[in-house]
Amino acid sequence: MQRSAIAATTRTETPDKPKVRLGAVDIHKYYGSVQANSGISLRVAPGEIHAVVGENGAGKSTLMRILQGLEQPDSGAIIVDDVEVRLNHPQQALALGIGMVHQEFMLAPDLSLLENFVLGIEPANGPLGRIDWTTARGAGDALAGQTGISIDWSRRAGTAPVHVQQFVEIIRLLHRGARVLILDEPTDVLAPPQVEDLFNLLRGLRDNGTTILFISHKLREVMALADLVTVIRRGRVTFNSAVADTDAEIIAEHIIGEREEPALAVIDDRAPIDGTAETVLAVKDLSTPSVEKSHSLDNIGFEINSGEIVGMAGVTGNGQAELVECLVGLRRIEKGSLVHRGQDITLASNAARRARGLAFVSPDRSHEGLATTASVEANVVAGSHRSPPIARGPFLNRSAMRRVAAERLDRLGVTYANLSDPAKSLSGGNQQRLVFAREIAGDPSLLVVSQPTRGVDLNGIAAIHRILRTFRDNGGSVFLVSEELDELLDLADRILVIAGGRIVGQRDANDADMAELGRLMVLQDSADG
Amino acid sequence: MVDMTAHQGGGGSELFSRGFGLAFPFLVAIAVSALMLLLIGENPFDIFTLMANEGFGSQRRISATLSAATPLLFTGVATAVCFRSGVFNVGVEGAFVLGGLAAAFIGFTAPAEWGAMIILPAFLFAMIVGAFWLYVPGVLLARLDVDEVVSTLMLNFVAFGISGYLVNGPLLSESSGNNVTPLVHEAAQLGRLLPPSTLHAGFFLGLFCLAAYAFWTRRTADGFEAELVGLNQRFSRAVGISIPSVIIMVMLLSGIVSGLGGASHALGQLHRFSEGFSPGYGFTGMAVALLGRNNAFGILFGAVLFGALASAGTTVQLFSDIPLDLVNIIEGTVMIFAVVELGRITLFRRRRAT
Repeated sequence: MQRSAIAATTRTETPDKPKVRLGAVDIHKYYGSVQANSGISLRVAPGEIHAVVGENGAGKSTLMRILQGLEQPDSGAIIVDDVEVRLNHPQQALALGIGMVHQEFMLAPDLSLLENFVLGIEPANGPLGRIDWTTARGAGDALAGQTGISIDWSRRAGTAPVHVQQFVEIIRLLHRGARVLILDEPTDVLAPPQVEDLFNLLRGLRDNGTTILFISHKLREVMALADLVTVIRRGRVTFNSAVADTDAEIIAEHIIGEREEPALAVIDDRAPIDGTAETVLAVKDLSTPSVEKSHSLDNIGFEINSGEIVGMAGVTGNGQAELVECLVGLRRIEKGSLVHRGQDITLASNAARRARGLAFVSPDRSHEGLATTASVEANVVAGSHRSPPIARGPFLNRSAMRRVAAERLDRLGVTYANLSDPAKSLSGGNQQRLVFAREIAGDPSLLVVSQPTRGVDLNGIAAIHRILRTFRDNGGSVFLVSEELDELLDLADRILVIAGGRIVGQRDANDADMAELGRLMVLQDSADG
Repeated sequence: MVDMTAHQGGGGSELFSRGFGLAFPFLVAIAVSALMLLLIGENPFDIFTLMANEGFGSQRRISATLSAATPLLFTGVATAVCFRSGVFNVGVEGAFVLGGLAAAFIGFTAPAEWGAMIILPAFLFAMIVGAFWLYVPGVLLARLDVDEVVSTLMLNFVAFGISGYLVNGPLLSESSGNNVTPLVHEAAQLGRLLPPSTLHAGFFLGLFCLAAYAFWTRRTADGFEAELVGLNQRFSRAVGISIPSVIIMVMLLSGIVSGLGGASHALGQLHRFSEGFSPGYGFTGMAVALLGRNNAFGILFGAVLFGALASAGTTVQLFSDIPLDLVNIIEGTVMIFAVVELGRITLFRRRRAT
C-alpha cells in the first residue's frame, strides 16, 4: 500500500489528490462483429462511489473487464491516477490498486476464511518460511475492525454465508492494497438486510478514501448508495450526473433510451388476428419458491392464443428464466396450473410437453440451446431421433438423419460447411438459426423463446425476427422473453411486464409506450404499491 | 468446387489429428523408455526390436498377445460405454470378477450331461450378475445423485470380499490347493484356437462386443442419446432426453459386458475361478478406453498394445538383461499420458457439478 502511494507521488504532479483515480478514454471493443463498447469514457474521482448502470448486454461488464486488465481494448486508454497505463493482466491492475469483486466469488471453498484472506501473500518467518498465522489474524482483525465487523476466521469459505464470503473478498482486496474496488452486481446474491450492511460497509470505505465503482441494474440501490451515476446503453455513455442532481425516472429513461428506428427496414406485416383464435396455453396462479439462487414466482397468470406473440419485458433476474423453465417443464411447479390446448400439463415432463407440440429456444444458447461440441447434424435432429424417418425401431437410419438435418438447416438458411462440424464452428447468428431450425421442425403449436437475439449480429437478428413472424402468421403461438424492448415492440402483439417475480403490467403492443414499459420494469416498488 | 477441396482438406487433417491423439501417449512412452534404457547403458533400438519380436514375432507370440488382450477388449468396451456418456464408472473390475465367479459356478455345478449347452446359462448368469452389480450405483447416481466414482470404486472391494469369501469357503475346491473353485466341466470350456497358446474363443466374443459397441454408438437411438448426455447434460435435458434412464442404461450395458468378460476369462482362460482372478483387467480397461478415446478401433489398438506389453514383458527378461520393470515403465507412461484425457473428463465433471 505504501509502495503504490510512493509510486503515485512520483508519477503525478498533484501527489495528494489525483483528479482521476480511475478513468477510461474513448474505449472501443469488438467481439467479432459485435461492438460491445463504442467510445466509452469514464472518470472516477478519488473517494467517490460511482455507479455504472445499464441493461444487460449494454457493455458494462466489458468495460469492467477492460478496467481490470482481463481484456484489452481495441482502442482507447485507461487512466490510473492521472497517468495513462496499460493493463495486460489483473495482477497489474491490482498492483496499481484496482481490485474487482466478481459476481462469482473467487475464494477457495475448502480453505478457511483466514487462509483465503492471506492466500498468495502469506506472512512468513523463519528459514522454513513458516506461515505466521498470528500476524495474518492480526491483519485480518484490524481490517475487519475498521469496518466494525467480526469474523469467525476458522470457518471454511465454502460453508460461510454468502455475505461473509463477499466481505472477506472485499477486505482481501484491501489487504492487497486495492484503493479502487470494482463491484459487479454485488447485491444480486444478498438478502435485503445484508444489502443494507454492504452499503454501510461501502460508505465507510469511501469515507476512509477508497474509491468504489459499482455496477448495477437496480436503480433503487444506485439512488441509495452512489455519489455519481453513469448510464451505458448499447456500448455508449448516454448519461452522466451526480446522483443528487437527478432522479430515478430520468435515469430510467436513459437506460431504456429513445425508441430508435429499426436498423433494418422492417415492414410491419403483423397479420390481423381473426376471431377464431384458440387459447393455446393458459397459465393460472403459477407460483414457485426461491431455491438457492433462483427467483421466486408469485401468482403468475396469463393466456396465449393461437397466432399471437406474447412478449415479456423485464430486467433480467426478475423471474423470467424461472417462468420459462416452468413453462417448458425444466422446473417443478409448486402451485398453480398450466393448461395446453385443454389438457393440464402442470406435471408433464419436458419430453411429454414436447410431444404435445411445445418447443423451446433457450436463453443460454451455448450451454442449453446447443451441445456446442456435438456435430451440427446431431444438434439439429436431437429430440427427433426417436421418430421416423430417422429412427427405424431402436435403430438410426444415418442417411435419413443426414437428409433431415440438411433439409432443416436449408429451410432456415443456416450456413455451415459440413454436417459433421461441431456446432461451435458456426457464427452466433447461425447457431441461433440452427436452434430455431430444430425447434420449429416439428410444427409446434407453442414456441417458448427466451433472449433469441442475444449475441447475434444485425443480419441474424433480422432473420430470427422473420422466422418468428412467419411462425406466428401461420397460426403458431409464441411466448417471447427479451431484454430488448425494441424487439418486443417490433414483434409482440401483447407485452407483459415482470418485476420481482410478479406480472406488474400488461400492454397492447400497439399503444404501448417504451418509456412507460421501462418505468414498470425498473421502478418495481412504485409500480404496484 | 472450392468447398469440396476445403472439405477434403479439413477431413484429412482431422483424421490425422485423431490418429496422432491415439498414438501420442504411446510415442511419449517409447521416448521415455528409450531414455531409461540409455541411462542403464542399453541400446533402446535392440530392446524394442526384441520386445516387438516377443509381442508379434511369430504366430505363437501373436496368439499369446491376443490372449492377453482378450479380457481387455471386454473391460475396455465396458468402460467406454460409460465414459462416453460422462458417467465415470470405475467398477468394471468388480463386475468382471463377479461375472467370472458366476460363470464358473454354473460351469461346475450344472449337470455334466448338458454338455456344451452349459456355456449359455453360464454366460447368461454372468451377464445378470454383472448388470445387477452396476445397476445399483447407476440407480444411486440417477435418482439420488450419489457420486458414481465413489460408489463403484467401493463396490469393487465388496466384490473382492464376496468372491474371496466364496472361493475360500463354500465354493472351495476339495481336490485342489487353496483359493480356487473346482474346474468347470470340460464341455463348458471355451475352445482353444491355436494350441498350445491360451488364445480361446472368448477373443471372438470380445471382438463381437467391440463391433456391437461400434454399432450402438453410431446406429442406435440409445447410443445417440448417450453421446449427447456425455457432451452436454443441460442440452440433453432440454431436448427431452431423460438423463436418469441414460445413466441407468449405460451402467447396465457396462455391467453386462463386464460380466461377459469375466465369464469368457473363467471358461476360456482359467477354466475355474480363483482368488486373484483379475490382475486389474478392469483398471487396465480404463486405460484402454482412455487411450482409445472411446472409439472402437482405438479400444482394439489399446487392448492389443497392453496385451503385447503384458505378454512380451514376461519373456523379455529371459532373453536380455532388461528387468521386467521396463515394461512397467512403458505401461505406466502410456497410462499417464492417456490420463491426460482423464483429466479433461474430471474437469468436465466438476463443471457439471457447479
